[in-house]
Amino acid sequence: MDKNATQYNVQLYVYDLSRGMARSLSPIMLGKQLDGIWHTAIVAYGDEFFFGGEGISSCSPGGTMLGPPDTVVELGETEVSEEIFMDYLSALGESAYRGDRYRLFEHNCNTFTNEVAQFMTGRSIPSYITDLPSEVLSTPFGQILRPILDSIHIAPPGGNVINGARNM
Amino acid sequence: MIRKLTPDPSCSIGGIKMADQGAADPGNNNNNKPEASEGTIIKVTVKTPKDKEEIAIAEDASVTQFKEEISRRFKAKQDQLVLIFAGKILKDGDSLSQHGIKDGLTVHLVIKTAHKAGDGGSTSASSSTPTQAGNTSTSSPGTNSSSTAGSTGTAASPTQTPNILTGFGDLSGLAGLGMGSANFMELQQQMQRQLMSNPEMLSQIMENPLVQNMMSNPDLMRQMIMANPQMQQLMERNPEISHMLNNPELMRQTMELARNPAMMQEMMRNQDRALSNLESIPGGYNALRRMYTDIQEPMFSAAREQFGNNPFSALGGNSESGAQPSRTENREPLPNPWGPPNSSNPSESGGAPTGSTSTTGGTNPSVSNPLGINPGSLGNGMFNSPGMQSLMQQISENPQLMQNMLSAPYMRSMMQSLSQNPELASQVLMNNPLFAGNPQLQDQFRSQLPIFLQQMQNPEALSVMTNPRAMQALMQIQQGLQTLQTEAPGLMPGWGHANREPSLLTKQCRNKRCPATADATDAPDVCWRRRRNCRRNWRRNCRRNCRRNWRRNWRNWRNWRRSWRRKCNGTQKHDQILHLSHLSKKEQKVQ
Repeated sequence: MDKNATQYNVQLYVYDLSRGMARSLSPIMLGKQLDGIWHTAIVAYGDEFFFGGEGISSCSPGGTMLGPPDTVVELGETEVSEEIFMDYLSALGESAYRGDRYRLFEHNCNTFTNEVAQFMTGRSIPSYITDLPSEVLSTPFGQILRPILDSIHIAPPGGNVINGARNM
Repeated sequence: MIRKLTPDPSCSIGGIKMADQGAADPGNNNNNKPEASEGTIIKVTVKTPKDKEEIAIAEDASVTQFKEEISRRFKAKQDQLVLIFAGKILKDGDSLSQHGIKDGLTVHLVIKTAHKAGDGGSTSASSSTPTQAGNTSTSSPGTNSSSTAGSTGTAASPTQTPNILTGFGDLSGLAGLGMGSANFMELQQQMQRQLMSNPEMLSQIMENPLVQNMMSNPDLMRQMIMANPQMQQLMERNPEISHMLNNPELMRQTMELARNPAMMQEMMRNQDRALSNLESIPGGYNALRRMYTDIQEPMFSAAREQFGNNPFSALGGNSESGAQPSRTENREPLPNPWGPPNSSNPSESGGAPTGSTSTTGGTNPSVSNPLGINPGSLGNGMFNSPGMQSLMQQISENPQLMQNMLSAPYMRSMMQSLSQNPELASQVLMNNPLFAGNPQLQDQFRSQLPIFLQQMQNPEALSVMTNPRAMQALMQIQQGLQTLQTEAPGLMPGWGHANREPSLLTKQCRNKRCPATADATDAPDVCWRRRRNCRRNWRRNCRRNCRRNWRRNWRNWRNWRRSWRRKCNGTQKHDQILHLSHLSKKEQKVQ
């Protein structure tokens, strides 16, 4: 393989939106153990990128309201340059990842992160993150709360929205 | 040879290839391509951000050939194509097999646009410039205090609005309070500044239908604004704000004013300056505080009406010393609105010249006791269930837990929706394994549910729940009450039942030096002062009482066992003796 190209490190920042509550309360409330409600973001080129209710947003790593991440997963190296990556993100932001396309269960931040991770490194994010919606929905509690939860858009403040229309 | 017959019209191969092959089957997407480079054909999925296509190509083709194919399919120039596989960019000189591209794998494609500005650079630049702009905004001449009051509310609301938009609601304020990390405060300020200096962003936010919806609901806005601790501080200093909050018309006007960011920032600054001046005047702070409690009274009487049907109120006694004038010097420090409800509540009402009226039912929900829960009533009902107890214990053990729960983004909206739809909430809870085996508890909980949810909504309640010491104090009280229940059940007849009559006895507080009277429902009939003073001893005493009971129970059990053994001695008729134990000895012998 060609090692002359610059490699950029790609990380996955995993946040627990429930801040530990899920780990303690999920056995009681849901009947199964969930270690957390995971929100993920991709960190590359010194910036953090995530998908939320506003669309694809970026900020400085750990710069959302959630603070520093609970877990950092090293996704590996990529040769993709920042320029190409931003093009890619803009294109994504116009199509599948507009703000209004956010769905808490089917098309959420983790979906975005998974796709970007595969784009950058060819690997996907850990399965316990992507399996979360199905885990929740398989409980009766989740089923009942589904209509409420569907309308929730999670978008941690602190990021700037990448707007595909405006080439930023 | 033809490997698969699955027709895929989107995958029609270019005319050139078909011509090569000669045996063109339009439905067949898998041609034999007897090109110079032979080898099996693999189907590779090429994925762009917008769509994806399957492309069949020879296994050992080169990247150039692949790009040719792609450029045909995607109608783009080859130089614009950037192919990425496994994090590597495919260069023209490579071959597909070099990168390990096999059948069924996905290759990512980015079509470079002509515009090639430094995307990353501009993104970070745009985020930093508004911050600087916010820092250097100039000031305009100030105005009178009423408009500052009005605009202070508006100054707070833009801080709120981006949070509202993002679903965090006002809990970001609470989280900031709880986390206390400089990082977050900075962030919020940054956001505020950005917002102020970027009128476009602000107007965008204002146009958001969600925000408009929220703003058209004055109660909601009022609650949210009140929940912001900064707002609370402001309210403490300038009670006119609360007048403003109560006037929905005025609120709407101030929302309109919010569209003018520079003005708003200036108002904010003037406000702060004026207030700091006020504080420095001797006695001024006290005056403000008194004014505050004056205004606090109507607000909380409004809140109290909400709790009027509070079943807790029926259970517990009246407020601890809501109506008691303090006969001794009040050494209590000024109430900490976020402090534990017990200690500060009575002093709060003691200190206010306008004494707060006590209800016969629940405690007056003052600033310090926002839940309006008489701790005396906490030993009942749902809080006694083992599940809830363990929950409470967990909460008190892990003080961050409650804080963090409420800073969870969806919690707020979930609570709201639950409260608006009590059937749904009860349904949810019935399926909850916690309540599964306990129908009585379910009923209890169901009846108390709407009130519980309303309380959850109360921003003051939230602030109490985020206070770990408050939760601990509540836990302690509950434990103490339980002890009392076991030790002296006769003292409070009907303590555990929903329809108890309030005890009419009032006793002098057991503390000899304390002149107050303690209501008999106070457990264990000491007044708040004594209880506060011996909170540490309190815990110890509880434990001791428990142990004493235990020993007594053990003795009973042992005696009974002895007698049982005596009865059964030698005989094999344990069952018989057990079943006939209701008969006398003679009758047993007859059997």
